[in-house]
Amino acid sequence: MADKVRSLQEVVASIADGANLTFGGFAAYFTPLALVRELIRQGKRELEMTSVAECWVADYLAGAGVLKRARFSNFMFEGLGRCQNFARGVERGEIEVEDYSHFAITSRLVAAGLGVPFLPIKPMAGTDLMRKQSFDAEKARPFACPFTGESVLLVPAVRPDVAVIHASRADREGNTQLFGYTSVVDEQARAAQRVIVTTEEVVEDTVIRAQPELTVLPGFLVDAVVEVPFGAHPTGMYRYYDPDFEFMRDYYAASRDPAAFRAHLEEWVLGPGDHWAYLRKVGLRRLLALRSDPGLGIAHMHARTVT
Amino acid sequence: MSTNKRKGAANGVTRQEIMAVTAAREIRDGEVAFIGTGLPMVAAYLAKYTHAPSSVLIFESGVVGAQPKELATGVGDLRLLHGCIKATGLYYALSLLQGGFVDIGFLGAAEVDQYGNLNSTAIGDYRRPTVRLPGSGGANDIGSLARRLLIMVPHERRRLVPRVQYLTTPGFLDGPGARERAGLRGEGPTRVITDLAVLDFDPASKRMRVATVHPGVTVEDVEARTGFPLLRAPRVGETALPSAEEVRLLRERIDPEGIYIGSKG
Repeated sequence: MADKVRSLQEVVASIADGANLTFGGFAAYFTPLALVRELIRQGKRELEMTSVAECWVADYLAGAGVLKRARFSNFMFEGLGRCQNFARGVERGEIEVEDYSHFAITSRLVAAGLGVPFLPIKPMAGTDLMRKQSFDAEKARPFACPFTGESVLLVPAVRPDVAVIHASRADREGNTQLFGYTSVVDEQARAAQRVIVTTEEVVEDTVIRAQPELTVLPGFLVDAVVEVPFGAHPTGMYRYYDPDFEFMRDYYAASRDPAAFRAHLEEWVLGPGDHWAYLRKVGLRRLLALRSDPGLGIAHMHARTVT
Repeated sequence: MSTNKRKGAANGVTRQEIMAVTAAREIRDGEVAFIGTGLPMVAAYLAKYTHAPSSVLIFESGVVGAQPKELATGVGDLRLLHGCIKATGLYYALSLLQGGFVDIGFLGAAEVDQYGNLNSTAIGDYRRPTVRLPGSGGANDIGSLARRLLIMVPHERRRLVPRVQYLTTPGFLDGPGARERAGLRGEGPTRVITDLAVLDFDPASKRMRVATVHPGVTVEDVEARTGFPLLRAPRVGETALPSAEEVRLLRERIDPEGIYIGSKG
């Protein structure tokens, strides 16, 4: 059995400057932010994202000044507003963007995972998502079906260098389970050349085999496993903990101003030297208050605010 | 224009409530609806509580068949998972659109033009915008592929514009036949619901026209707040008011804090 368990520092050190990265997570949930904080601590530069809706990753990397470009479909903080750091970076010409629809960018990942050079899709046709191009060699090409003549768009496969997925639990071989909805985790993992799984807990393989229907990634797709409890904080994990909305509001307030955000990064990312120091700073009381009710899968409605 | 411009209303009903109820009535029982955050979610919940209990609500995050319980903060909110039919992924949820399984989708946008095209990408130059907006997400997929598209926006001149600065989501593109030429599916936008009126599209020219005005609003009010020449339907009527039961459900059960319907505003 291959033991793929590694440290956070080690896996992040293996990611090169300029890498094309794709991250798990959706909206305020299961985003691999422990690893993102370590990317920032290690001073990675000129990163590229291939992304669907991983707003927290994009905004952290943009705010740290290490995001060079993003091909993506939507970055938005639900309930808060536009991603301020990311939007500012684009508006200042510091971050290059290539826009897709959700289905189109996912189809590019799916093509890579299926081992075909392109896929035909229906959306994006006739719009600026098809016409306006930025850094990609070619986004999409109108095409007539050779069998029926029907109009489709061809989108080329995209193969990110590394997929980083934050999961509920995984065993030491990388068999990975994620509870709740799964966004595009499977498509990202199969498309990427290398897959790093960060996980709330490393478990015995018997735990995985007891509920195989929860497995999103078989271990042969996974190159490394990192155990990081509360590794999605401030985003939430179904059946583990809720998003820390109070933290998010503070983050968002800081992100409106570059200097304030530098201070926020200094306090919450660079200051704490590693993930454990970060958790100590967040504090046990606050973390425990976020824990899910086993029946609901989310925290008790009125137990969210730390008093 | 009446004195209570934004929230103003007949019988104490807010314009947001009229929007939500009008949108809810567009969902037919048994239909599969693709739902976004905000007023569309409120409308979909109301439809399920009233005339469309068998409708199926899908959220792009991968939640299929959500129950109308507590109002979620967004399409990713885990509260949507509790009691849903299927928890899956984004690719599956969006594949349902391309597969032709989705009857109706709801969208908002920063800009809407006279052909019902939407911009949710950028204001100003695409590569160096004045305002970078969130981006398409599933909007283009919904506009390209759902059988019917419903647009919900506040009625403002800067929002209802002659030409969108970036065409994120297709309405009728540049007019009759354009959707078909591009290979898009579905009828395209069927209604635009604003806080002043319900607009639809002239069958021949595919240009936006006033269908009904909300109580207390005139067609001239609507035209004055629109950035392009609006057509008028052959007979412009008044938007039907919400029933007492619909208002009660909105205020007491669906959005008791008035986050989207503004009843506490």
